[in-house]
Amino acid sequence: MRVLLVEDDADMAESLRSSLMADEHEVEIASDGELGQSMAATGGYDVIVLDRMLPKKLGVSVVKELREQGVSTPVLILSALHDEDHRIEGLNAGANDYLGKPFSTRELLARVRALWNGRDRDVQTRLQVGDLEMDLLARTVKRGGKKLDLQPREFRLLEYLMRNAGQTVTRKMLLENVWDYHFDPQTNVIDVHISRLRSKIDRDFAQSLLHTVRGSGYRLEA
Amino acid sequence: MRPSLALLRTTTFRLALAQAGVVLLFVVALLVYVYFATIGQLVADSDILADQEYAALERAYAEGGIRRLNQEVVERAAQEGPLLYVLAEGNGTVITGDFPQLPAAASEAVQRIDFTFETTNADGAPQRARARGQIGRLLNGPILLVARDLSDSAAITGRITQVLWTVAILGVFFSVASGLTASWFATHRVEALSSTARDVMAGDLKRRAPVRGEGDEFDALAEAMNAMLDRLERLMQVSRTAGDAIAHDLRSPLTRFRQKLEAALEAPADSASDREALRKALEEADSLLDMFAAVLKLARVESNPNWRFERIDASDILRELVDFYEPAAEEQGRTLRGDIAAGLYVNGEPGLFTQAVSNLVENALKYTPVGGHIELTAVRRSDGRLEIAVSDDGPGILPVDRDRVLERFVRLESARSSPGAGLGLSLVAAVARLHKGGLHLRDGLDNVGGKGLGAALVLPAAA
Repeated sequence: MRVLLVEDDADMAESLRSSLMADEHEVEIASDGELGQSMAATGGYDVIVLDRMLPKKLGVSVVKELREQGVSTPVLILSALHDEDHRIEGLNAGANDYLGKPFSTRELLARVRALWNGRDRDVQTRLQVGDLEMDLLARTVKRGGKKLDLQPREFRLLEYLMRNAGQTVTRKMLLENVWDYHFDPQTNVIDVHISRLRSKIDRDFAQSLLHTVRGSGYRLEA
Repeated sequence: MRPSLALLRTTTFRLALAQAGVVLLFVVALLVYVYFATIGQLVADSDILADQEYAALERAYAEGGIRRLNQEVVERAAQEGPLLYVLAEGNGTVITGDFPQLPAAASEAVQRIDFTFETTNADGAPQRARARGQIGRLLNGPILLVARDLSDSAAITGRITQVLWTVAILGVFFSVASGLTASWFATHRVEALSSTARDVMAGDLKRRAPVRGEGDEFDALAEAMNAMLDRLERLMQVSRTAGDAIAHDLRSPLTRFRQKLEAALEAPADSASDREALRKALEEADSLLDMFAAVLKLARVESNPNWRFERIDASDILRELVDFYEPAAEEQGRTLRGDIAAGLYVNGEPGLFTQAVSNLVENALKYTPVGGHIELTAVRRSDGRLEIAVSDDGPGILPVDRDRVLERFVRLESARSSPGAGLGLSLVAAVARLHKGGLHLRDGLDNVGGKGLGAALVLPAAA
């Protein structure tokens, strides 16, 4: 994947670049908002990672103007403060995801991949991972042809995992995308929801699809 | 600052000066009124008198001709009294009367005139006096003037004026004197308050303003000031405690963080144990960052008034929160139950509202022992406000400690061993205040030998 990283802090940019490159991405860096915007408009990137506070032009303005120019590359905004109002402002401007600092590198990598994955989200009506099938219109789930009975929230959880199949999704991503919660619960709430879902989709089958990625999150993979 | 000058600058003294000014204005207005009332009346009276005399003399002329008129004028002019007469020939040459010359020219018609004339006062000194009367040309030419001398009325007016000016000067003098006295007293009382304030500023936080027990406005001010100082002293204590607490709470994880790195460095190189040490160090760093994030969030909720509020479906959010936490509670062997009335709406910030209630639920999960019960209830109270309560049958909090735990960084001794920065309830209380509501701690569910904790978020309902 080609990633454009717009970040003015050279140390931060270098550290993010090496992490992204280790995750097999091609990375280019722009050190201010104006340069970032012109590179984004012409460079043919797959994902743009944009700091919120940038010299010359703020990240939010960059996204807004890119969207007005018809550039639909997925954008992830990084912000020093994970504030509800800033997040909403960023998403309203046209960003696809918003991550507050400090964040773990794994979190960033998972989100960059998820952004690339989600680019054609709306056109799909059926999802399939191995012998697990989801019909988004009929809202039914089958595994090996056998219908599974899921609660609405479990359905959304599984849908998110299936859309990001093969990739690690973090607990924070699940919280934000499945529950729309933007705080960190101190208890292992997500793990319990996952284990309940796992008991429904994996228990009666030889092959496990829902894997725990230690220290990061979960991955659905055939 | 010299005291005498300070006295002149006080509000009381300025008010007294203003009062003196009002007294002065009043006296001037009174003077004008008295002047016009007396002179005006005298003028009206003298007009009637002069008219009557003129008419009588006109009749005398009609009956007895110029001789009779001349005789009448001579007689009347000789009488003591305020009336003045002049009879003149048609060309203006005076025949007889009080003046050697006509004070004004006469026209064909009878007309009213005002004029001044030379006379002598009681001591024989010459003076000018005012007079007012009628002048007219009689049949066949002679000119007749009848007027009234106004100098006696001027004397009355003069005396009244003199009395009023005396009153005015006395009034101004007493206003200023009473103003100075009042401002001396006020300055004295205010000085007592100011010196208290200066002492407190200098660091004597225990100093309080004297209350005389007279129940006057200065006592009220002193009492309010003392109440404020009590509150400030408490807040200072809290923030000092908070400073100590944050230093304390940060020092422990930072020390562990350092120890882990040091131990990893000291130990012989071994990639597996190095990695484990790094992982643990990372965990410590995360918990430190979480704590900073919590402090920052609390500060922003408390200091930023620009949150975007919207009408939020509280019932829906609360039901989802119960669904969210219920499996984890069950997994841990606790029961979480929701009893949420439908159709409850709040004007608020959805993220903060959700987090506040979630903090209450997590708190209950953390402090309720295994096997315990937690209830999330939401109702519209009879006063129209919404009450969202999380009640448990855990150990509870003693009533004396309940106010204290809402302060930031306060963690009761019993909670020291569990993780957390002691900011959870402070954040809930701050969110409640932001939404024009409050957080109240009370008894929770019955348990063996007592009560658990109930935390009630009371918020105004949205229409």
